[in-house]
Amino acid sequence: MIEATGVCLRYPDDTLALQDIDLQIEPGEMVYITGPSGSGKTSLLKLFMGIEYPTSGSIKVIGQPITKGQTSGIRELRRMIGPVFQEFKLLKGRTVMENVILGMRFLDLPKGQLKEKAKNSLERVGLTHKALSLVENLSLGESQRVAIARAVARNPVLILADEPTGNLDKDNALKILELLASLKDEKTSVIITTHATHLISREKNAKLLTMDKGTMRWER
Amino acid sequence: MKSIFSNSGYFLKETLTMLRLNVLSNSLSLLSIGLIFFLLAMVISGWWTSSHVAEVIQSEAEINVFYNENIGDAGVSQLVERIQEIEGVRESRLVNEGEAYTRMEKILGEEARVLEVFNDNPFSPFIEVQINLEKIDPVLKELDHLTGIEHIRNNKDVLDRIRNISGILKLFGFLVVIAVGITTLIIISHIIRQGIHNQREQINTLRLLGAPEFFIAFPFLLEGLLLTVGGGILAVSLAAFTLKQAYDQMAGSLSFIPLLPSEVLVSNMVIVVMTLSAILGMFGSLLGLTLSRNN
Repeated sequence: MIEATGVCLRYPDDTLALQDIDLQIEPGEMVYITGPSGSGKTSLLKLFMGIEYPTSGSIKVIGQPITKGQTSGIRELRRMIGPVFQEFKLLKGRTVMENVILGMRFLDLPKGQLKEKAKNSLERVGLTHKALSLVENLSLGESQRVAIARAVARNPVLILADEPTGNLDKDNALKILELLASLKDEKTSVIITTHATHLISREKNAKLLTMDKGTMRWER
Repeated sequence: MKSIFSNSGYFLKETLTMLRLNVLSNSLSLLSIGLIFFLLAMVISGWWTSSHVAEVIQSEAEINVFYNENIGDAGVSQLVERIQEIEGVRESRLVNEGEAYTRMEKILGEEARVLEVFNDNPFSPFIEVQINLEKIDPVLKELDHLTGIEHIRNNKDVLDRIRNISGILKLFGFLVVIAVGITTLIIISHIIRQGIHNQREQINTLRLLGAPEFFIAFPFLLEGLLLTVGGGILAVSLAAFTLKQAYDQMAGSLSFIPLLPSEVLVSNMVIVVMTLSAILGMFGSLLGLTLSRNN
């Protein structure tokens, strides 16, 4: 699913965000990436999504090399990913249902299926009753669940969640992590960055990767 | 292309949402574009009308030749025949005093009573010479060489003036079309750039989700198109109303001016303005998208 060899990432201001990253993540794996703020968790996820390119080393995500000049390939890659952002990135002025459907509109799915898939996703995250609400009227926990529904509805082979619990209280954060963990199957990998290590200790089947000052270490 | 058709409802809804989000700014833009196109519609209408008047007058170009009445009937017939032979003359015929009087009565209409003050017919017979306007100078030169002619009345000066006015209006029309084109392109491209700036977070999210560029850009194209076409509709409605008023005024006091039928003028104006508005909307939006992309 993801193969990285000797990856370094240096930002234009000369900050070394990642160094010597070697990792392999297989289909159907669940991986938590933890570490303090500024340790490189988000930078790693940005590499996986093709938002950043490695300064050196090589990385392939779902067979797509992440290098400059691969615009259409990276666009294709992103269509196979279900991203969940810390700040949700829901489109304001639109309903919950519209947001979920919008994530599928350009995926070459039959038009008649979009609404059905959106309904199923909302049911999975327990938000069917909010389908027609505007997203700006939702609580933080509900907004995050809409973002997850949008990601799930796309039938992704890789779910990338960047600090999905960052804005939530402990109860809501636990629910969101459980929900994300439930999305993993034999084909779909789930990668979650979080600095809330106390919340992930119970997830024994997941791999745990710790980041520190741009370097990585497998904990389990 | 398939994606455009299958998402047409979404694109339209998205465009209307964008228009709604900046309703004041978009309404003012619509009004500005409408007024610019109204100016264009009026200049084009003036240009067509003056060209038509010039054409009609040119096609009816004629010279009146007044002869010395001492040359007798045979001399007059001979003169008519010789004039007919000049190159550039389409028809040459004698108009006697009686016909000249009747013509003037028709022209004056109700005012023809003024002719009753004369005891005798005040009009002289003349030879009416219909010519090809472009040959007016050689025809006049040939007539100078003929004997028995007292004086010649031609409307060359009037025709030249109308042609000049028509030429100026044509040039002015071209300049207005260019000015309107550039102004509309600037306004639309600015609106699109502003829209892209306002929607940058949404655009970024769509990119992160893997949306193709045309999918992101299409609502902006549609927004520009709707604004210019809306402006065009506003302009042609205003122009049609103004032209109707102008025709009603002219029908009474200036009925002798050979105007184009108002339905023809208005329908041609609608076609030109609406076509231009659609083309300019499309290009303005594309320009705005290109400039935003480069930035």
